[in-house]
Amino acid sequence: MEIELLTGVLLLCILVAFAIGTPVGLALGGIAMAIGYSTWGEGIFNIVPSTFESILFSFILLAIPLYIYMGQLLTRSGIGDAMFNASQLVIGKVRGSLAISVVGVCSMIGAMVGIIGAGIMTSGSIALKPMLERGYDKRLALGVIMAGGGLGILIPPSVPMIMFAASTQNSVGKMFIAALVPAVVTIVLLVTYIVISCKINPEKAPLGTGAEAKMTPEQKFRTLRDGLLSVLLIVAVLGSIISGIATPTESGAIGVVGAIILAFFFKRFRFGLFKSAGLETAMLVSVAMWIILGATLFSNFHLLMGVQDMVAGFTSDLGLPPLGVVIMMQLVMLLLGFIIDEFIIVLMCAPLFTPIVVDLGFDPIWFGILMILNIEIAVQTPPYGFALFYLKGIAPPDVTMLDIYKSVTPFILIKLLVLILCLLFPDAVMWLPNKIMG
Amino acid sequence: MFTSTLRLYCTAVQRLVAFIGRGVSILMPMIALVIAFEVFARYFLNKPTIWAYDLSLFLSGYLAALGGAYAQQRKAHINVDILYLSVSANVKRIFHLVSGALAIFFMAVVVLVSIDKFNEALNFNYRRMSEWAPPMHHFWMMLIVACSLLILQIISDIINDLYHLVTGRDLVPVSDEDAEDDNGN
Amino acid sequence: AEHNWRFANLYTRGTAFGEVYGNLAKNIEEMSNGRIKVKMMYAGEGVDTKGILGAVKSGLITMGATFQPMNAGELPAGIVEVGLPGGTADVGELSVLFHEKGWNEVLTKAYGEQGLVYLDPYIQPPVYLLTKKEIKSVEDFKGLKLRAPGAYGKFVRNLGASPVSLTWSEIYTGLATGVIDGSIGSNLIDHRDGNHVEVAKYMYRLPLAGAQVLPVFVNQKAWNKLPDDLKAIVKAATAVHAREQMTKSRLWESEAIADMEAKGMKWSPAPSAEDKAAWTKAGESLWDEYSAQDKHSKALIDILKKQ
Ligand code: NA
Ligand code: NA
Repeated sequence: MEIELLTGVLLLCILVAFAIGTPVGLALGGIAMAIGYSTWGEGIFNIVPSTFESILFSFILLAIPLYIYMGQLLTRSGIGDAMFNASQLVIGKVRGSLAISVVGVCSMIGAMVGIIGAGIMTSGSIALKPMLERGYDKRLALGVIMAGGGLGILIPPSVPMIMFAASTQNSVGKMFIAALVPAVVTIVLLVTYIVISCKINPEKAPLGTGAEAKMTPEQKFRTLRDGLLSVLLIVAVLGSIISGIATPTESGAIGVVGAIILAFFFKRFRFGLFKSAGLETAMLVSVAMWIILGATLFSNFHLLMGVQDMVAGFTSDLGLPPLGVVIMMQLVMLLLGFIIDEFIIVLMCAPLFTPIVVDLGFDPIWFGILMILNIEIAVQTPPYGFALFYLKGIAPPDVTMLDIYKSVTPFILIKLLVLILCLLFPDAVMWLPNKIMG
Repeated sequence: MFTSTLRLYCTAVQRLVAFIGRGVSILMPMIALVIAFEVFARYFLNKPTIWAYDLSLFLSGYLAALGGAYAQQRKAHINVDILYLSVSANVKRIFHLVSGALAIFFMAVVVLVSIDKFNEALNFNYRRMSEWAPPMHHFWMMLIVACSLLILQIISDIINDLYHLVTGRDLVPVSDEDAEDDNGN
Repeated sequence: AEHNWRFANLYTRGTAFGEVYGNLAKNIEEMSNGRIKVKMMYAGEGVDTKGILGAVKSGLITMGATFQPMNAGELPAGIVEVGLPGGTADVGELSVLFHEKGWNEVLTKAYGEQGLVYLDPYIQPPVYLLTKKEIKSVEDFKGLKLRAPGAYGKFVRNLGASPVSLTWSEIYTGLATGVIDGSIGSNLIDHRDGNHVEVAKYMYRLPLAGAQVLPVFVNQKAWNKLPDDLKAIVKAATAVHAREQMTKSRLWESEAIADMEAKGMKWSPAPSAEDKAAWTKAGESLWDEYSAQDKHSKALIDILKKQ
């Protein structure tokens, strides 16, 4: 079968399976194996062991269970809420202030984790409940989590950035620094959007119930102290990364130990809590990993059949002006987000596209940042994107996929705006790294 | 008689899958402990272990794979529910049958290749590449178990759906056990 | 085509090494007048790098080129084949070892047992160690935390260092923050590609192993389907490939060194005679250990000892 036709058939099968509500991971794996069997024969089944082994033995992916577990322990012991209660005590009179605090917390989480899944699921574990409990609009809350969690690959450390730098022989340090301005711009735009949209639709973000105002000074003090301590835990985890005690993945375990210690300190440690956090984490991890297993099997099959050659052929000889070529590449990567994950997009597209872009006279670091911004969008663009499924996994049961789609849309547009800004004004990306590293 | 056999099967699978699904959640604190210990051993004792890296990966692999069937039982696996939510309960049941068949096929493939890998791992004494070099065979056996459990669970779901489609009644009344777990949420 | 093959290697699309493997694929196609069609699979394309060996065994991939330490647990003899710590860098000596003293026969058996046909191996530049601090003598290794997997881990432990397990994508951050004090790369070119010199400046002069010998292998069943003339053509193409690897990798190694020096890489001072002796001893003490683990490893090491 021609790869174009095969791609069409695969996408059609996905649409049908998704329409009838087949679990995503099982659908993707099942379709890959069924179509593979009919085009290749039973030899294709041998793709399973190497795929499963590589996913289940990926140390990078261990960040997902560890950080979710930390998030669950913080939330279930009430320590996570303390952070937001304290923020409400301080800036509670600003409409949408809770969502703004969430963006702040997500940025800190983004500075700890280097992969998308861990960013979104950790942010969701910690920050979703406080927003929903205070009557925030479901969609606003989910969108904020998605937008903030996605910062995990834009704020250093970032695994996709390391992979980009390695496969194109560019400086990792320069990449990390170049990402800072786009990250700050994204955060500022997110906060601006939250403020404006809450002004227009005040019911989206109710002001505090006044509980804070009725607090005795002693209660206020305790709230602030608890909030400060829980922020300190995040700072400590960040510190363990920066000071070289642990790698970003390992620091998740430090966070877990810290959360348990804090729970004891606050006298909120109960064995039941420990057990329920473990159970909930196990379920979330299993759900996320089965999606990754099925989706990787699917994309591995597609790659074995030669989708990468299709991509390579697609972007060469189109006769476009230089910037047109770069824009075309952005579109291709957005489309690839339909079928493959963040790492494979980088592994495949970085070495394919970067030499072309450099030949056209552009800076590879700038292009790398565009790629990271693009991936952030690609993995959360409906109908298919890992990040969408992660978010649904962490959301309350009554949240539908349509809710998720609607909730992420304004935030995707914001990120698209950042991408376009960086595309049109390369200096915004290159100014800082050039200044610091020359 | 036939009905009670079906009911017995479904209840038994329900219990088995729930037992294993809840059981593996104990691995979560263990993973964190193993990695925290590695950090401690490396940073404070300057004596990194040779086993923490692989052990934490084995534990998380077991956790992720074995939890799959329990997630299926609890309907926790993510689906795109846009059309799905708008159809009647019986159409949903028909959808489940198609989804279930696809999933069983997928899981059967994994079980079959894992049996081959298990035998290969035993015959050639396959190990992890690390200095610790723990054996690999149990990992493939675990996958066989995890995917077989998923098959058992999906068959149980299919039996329930078919029974309802034919008779219009539930085969196994919705148990209270499910509700119990949700308390923590 | 009469035979449709897939050939997987460890390098990403568009990299210099990736191109050399691409040339092997092209050569097989051209020399066979298109009777064998070879589709190249680069890193990340369908099969994980550690899974290539298994994928060729099962026939999912027809032909593979791997780095043996990644599969140390599946094919232990590969660790001896690639070059044990303390091994020789002399290409002539290696050639004699493989072609005349019997290593090829032993390895043909070791790979053959697992359903693989062992083709002519090729040579790549040696493994080097990059550290954050200057190493003035072998004593300086004491207490260092070095990312060094498998056999190399045991080697650096013999020198008093602590081997650390770290996944590849965390090496850069690990060196930057100080989780590790140094890291070995599969060769100098890989050190350059990983940009590790940005965060660790000192390259140690002595390579951990001499030149590395890497395998190309084919799935047994696919091989048996070839008529004799095509078998000869594939073998001839791998011989051409081995020469290209040799000449190009030398050139790239010197380019990589120049690149890294431009980014501030420094060499630790030349080791003394005692340092060199300690270095060799740390390697040789591993021979018996590896010999005891696997019968093919033993056969290889027995030949080595007879030299
Ligand atoms: Na990050
Ligand atoms: Na997408």
